[in-house]
Amino acid sequence: MRFQTLRLTGPALLSLAALLAVPAGIFAQTSSTSSSSSSDRWLHVRVISTENKGETVRVNVPLEMAEKVLPAINKDRLHNGKVKFDDHQMDGVDLKVLLDAVRSSKDGEYVTVQGTDSDVRVAKQGGYMFVHVTEKTPSSAKDGKAIEKSRVEVKVPMKVVDALFSAGKDELDIVAALRALSAHGDTELVSVKSDDNTVRVWLDSKNVSD
Amino acid sequence: MILAKLALGFASTMVFATVYTFREGTIRIDVDDHRDGGSHVHFWVPAAAVPMAMHFVPKEHLREASSHASEFLPLVQIVTKELRRYPNTTFVEVEDGADHVRVSTVGTKLQIDVVNPEENVHIAVPLSTVNDVAAQLANSAPGI
Repeated sequence: MRFQTLRLTGPALLSLAALLAVPAGIFAQTSSTSSSSSSDRWLHVRVISTENKGETVRVNVPLEMAEKVLPAINKDRLHNGKVKFDDHQMDGVDLKVLLDAVRSSKDGEYVTVQGTDSDVRVAKQGGYMFVHVTEKTPSSAKDGKAIEKSRVEVKVPMKVVDALFSAGKDELDIVAALRALSAHGDTELVSVKSDDNTVRVWLDSKNVSD
Repeated sequence: MILAKLALGFASTMVFATVYTFREGTIRIDVDDHRDGGSHVHFWVPAAAVPMAMHFVPKEHLREASSHASEFLPLVQIVTKELRRYPNTTFVEVEDGADHVRVSTVGTKLQIDVVNPEENVHIAVPLSTVNDVAAQLANSAPGI
């Protein structure tokens, strides 16, 4: 009887040990997978450089993680998720007043500059703020057509801009802006196209770049 | 009979010790230097051994390391805790010709891969280990 008990105890102990060992890996992964829900918002940055060997950089950051990690970084001007800037850097421009003016204004184009070497357009439309800058080579005497050197397109939801300036007068609240951004649908935020580089910053719910 | 009991006791102790040691996963480091005479290093250690080994590090060394890293320790703890929520995800990927760098999570491990024609480096560390080490360093900070 005792011998039989002993014979059964060995495999039982081994099974228990195996059970103890396996879930640590599997359960950890399962719980992690389930906690990373499909509603997660991801900020993607992609830089493609055609210079030299051709460099590609892809960064994928979950907004929720950025919201939690940023307040833990206290270095230089970044403190508690806010970036301080000096008044003298703004050349006397009161950003808050400027922003209030934009917010209370109707949709439309605020700035349109068409120059020989660049075009600039700042507009507000459908709850978004648009900044488009096109750099061109001066038109040649022959055909009179300017060649586009680079194009920068920035599209930021007004709510994000509001959140960004919701802190003190001389602070940008990055965490508040990220929180506001996470409430938005898929959005292309920044697009830069030039001869050498293509930069794209966008927001979606996928954890991989396309 | 007594011998059988002793053998069973020893075997089960060994099994439990092994299970406990590998429960936290393993740290894997692979370095392949493709140059002439280059070294090839492949080793893996049970992750649970690292926090245990830290108990044997002289206190003054831990205190010194902690004072250097104190600024970043809370950040490391938050990042590792958050990364666990995103298994099997590539966070940073850089391709520059034949050079390829990738920082990702594979399950509950943080994996860093550097591949280029000269050498390949692959490091995989369980996030819980990074967190444990950071916590131990934080506890060793001067004044605690």
